[in-house]
Amino acid sequence: MERQKLIESLYRFAEIMVALIAGFAISGVIMWLGGYDPIKAYRAMLGTSILTTDPYNLAMTLSFSAPIMFTAITFAVGVRAGVFNIGAEGQMYVGALGAVLVAAMSLPGPLYLPLAILFGSLLGALWGAIAGVLKAYKGVNEVVSTIMLNWIAFWVVEYTRVDLLPNPRDPSKTIEMPEPGRLPILLKGTELTASIVLAVVVTLLSYYLLWHTVLGYEIRATGMNPRAARYGGINPERAVLWSFIIGGIAAGLAGVCEIAGRPPHYAITTGLSNLFGYGFDGITVSLIGANHPLGIIPAAIFVGGLTAGARGMQIVAGVPLEMVKAVQGVIIIALAVPGLLRLLKTRLTRGGG
Amino acid sequence: MKSGLKRALSKTAALLIVVFVVLAAGAALFLLRGGPAETTTTSAPAIPKKIAVVYDIGGRGDLSFNDMAYLGAKRAADEFGLELVEVQSKSESDYLPNLRTLARSGEYLLIVAVGFLMTDAVNQTAQEYPDQLFAIIDGYIPDKPNVLSVLFKEHEGSALVGALAAMVAANYGCSAVGVVLGMEIPVLYKFEAGYYWGIRYGEQVYKQHTGQDVSLNVLWTYTGAFNDPAKGKTATQAQLAQGACVVYNVAGATGLGIFEAVEEKAKQEGKDMGPPFAIGVDADQDYIKPGFIVASMMKRVDVGVYTAVKRALDYYQKKIDKFGGILELGLKEGGVAISKLEDLETFLELGIQAGTVKEAEKQQIIDKVKAMREAIPSWIWEEVDKLAETLKTNPDVAVDGLKFSDIAAKIPLDSDEIKQIRQQLGVPTG
Repeated sequence: MERQKLIESLYRFAEIMVALIAGFAISGVIMWLGGYDPIKAYRAMLGTSILTTDPYNLAMTLSFSAPIMFTAITFAVGVRAGVFNIGAEGQMYVGALGAVLVAAMSLPGPLYLPLAILFGSLLGALWGAIAGVLKAYKGVNEVVSTIMLNWIAFWVVEYTRVDLLPNPRDPSKTIEMPEPGRLPILLKGTELTASIVLAVVVTLLSYYLLWHTVLGYEIRATGMNPRAARYGGINPERAVLWSFIIGGIAAGLAGVCEIAGRPPHYAITTGLSNLFGYGFDGITVSLIGANHPLGIIPAAIFVGGLTAGARGMQIVAGVPLEMVKAVQGVIIIALAVPGLLRLLKTRLTRGGG
Repeated sequence: MKSGLKRALSKTAALLIVVFVVLAAGAALFLLRGGPAETTTTSAPAIPKKIAVVYDIGGRGDLSFNDMAYLGAKRAADEFGLELVEVQSKSESDYLPNLRTLARSGEYLLIVAVGFLMTDAVNQTAQEYPDQLFAIIDGYIPDKPNVLSVLFKEHEGSALVGALAAMVAANYGCSAVGVVLGMEIPVLYKFEAGYYWGIRYGEQVYKQHTGQDVSLNVLWTYTGAFNDPAKGKTATQAQLAQGACVVYNVAGATGLGIFEAVEEKAKQEGKDMGPPFAIGVDADQDYIKPGFIVASMMKRVDVGVYTAVKRALDYYQKKIDKFGGILELGLKEGGVAISKLEDLETFLELGIQAGTVKEAEKQQIIDKVKAMREAIPSWIWEEVDKLAETLKTNPDVAVDGLKFSDIAAKIPLDSDEIKQIRQQLGVPTG
């Protein structure tokens, strides 16, 4: 048994290495065809994000890892319950909205942060629960419902920004989180705030929840085989619904942390342009991390490093952002392919559970 | 239970090993290549040899605002023998790290932040790096000695195209004129206010010339984006359906959709020239859809960037002793203008460079724009030029009891003030 585990781990490791090499190789060819020096570009990308001793760059990498760590948990918990919850994007939006609603109140200073966290995660959980109830009790396909809910959330939040809570000095943003409600900056002169600490704590908690609690057991059992789970006395509907709620909390916290812990705006900006995309990035992070909380941490740091390294590629290697996006997209897809294939395989062999 | 825990631990360990090995392998590979790409620390030269341009999320390829900034920076770099580094931003969260990364290297003569959205980030970075010079286009940072705020009097140029829009619309018997805007930021209020004022001015002049009373409906739409042509197209189609036959683009790359919608509508009606027309912005965009863009409100971001670089050089060479402050460019300073046929040649280069225009089509395009301009009564063009002169010398000229100088005095406008101006000029307040 132990031996089998070891072999499987080695196999997974080999898989990641192959995917990584393939991703870098394909992207390298793309860059080379585009007239850019791939080696210089990769050195610039990694040398200003992950493989460096410069604290500023490392801090930047971690600051970009925090939101996608949260949203990866949303997807991972869903997968463990056997659902494709791609609603982290919308749940993150309403989480951010929750934080801004709290920011708009006049409260004693120390209350802002706890209330923002409470309110944001609550709204995220509620938003997730909508798709959860529809899936668990009405059999509505969660892929469709979460995508639709993402857009509803987008426009509800955008409406709020324009009409209910605009910043009077600058209508391109909502009201800012007041100073006492902001997460502390961990390293002066960097963007690294305590959001990364929260993200890691939530990730570890989700690991504990999935593997060391009854609810986690029920979620995983449902994900493996809902019928067997029911036979074993588990209520699979309840487990599915909980997976959406837990995912919603995580995504909601991502939103809260972007409002309370991302200098210099501390607000939702026009077109939700400071939030847009973190939810979807979370899906790839989760897939790279084998949908396992402990895999998600390094995966999020790697993807956060790519985001941070986009600067170095432009500044040091002179690669334009369009090319940077293409290159990083290929690397991320290559890394996510093994996980995605495995996921599809289990889904298909189960006959679309 | 015990074996379960054991299994969990071994799985964790396996995962961690994977991560470490990947990192170690990467690091080894890296070191073999000779360490991270560090900057060579030669003895610091007196004047840095590089300039950096940081774009906001709108980004390059808009054939207007950002591309104009590039033009100006490129010209300055070529002329003064500097190296130009461009950095684009994927999201709003990139502004601060982009600026800090550049500033902390200490290699740059000047860091130009292109766009109002970067105001907060520039403010913070400028405070952290007081020896680094910054310029911000469209942002208002008056109190930092190392920040030059480059502002434009967009309301002046917009008044000109507003007057043109109204007269052209009236000339073709249309019931409405429109404007499609990008993100709702205060800079855009200046465009709006000037445009509406110009429309009412144009109606007045039209009456003087023809004796006909005109009262145009004014339509406006904020699309919420500077980089989404599809949104621009939808918004324009809605305005055209409501009777607009001139639509002003105040939306960066989103505006490329405006041009498409206008051209499509005209072609559906079997015309190869407007109406309906669009009005270009920032650059002279008349060449993008020749015959369908009646004129452009040129906001010479290139002039602004070039001037900022020159000023930074002068400061380093001790020709001036103050760098920071406000640089405001209007009609008088050549910072804004309405496009002329002669401007076409210069700006066609922008299209050729971006690959949207072929060298061989150049003359054809110029001919078509010329024909379009000639199809519009010449007195309309003359009146627009006259207004340009008036605004330079007598900004107190009034329409509907609203002096142009009153608008100028209220700048920077906030959302309540623009609502008030809309109301005064008979535009839906929204």
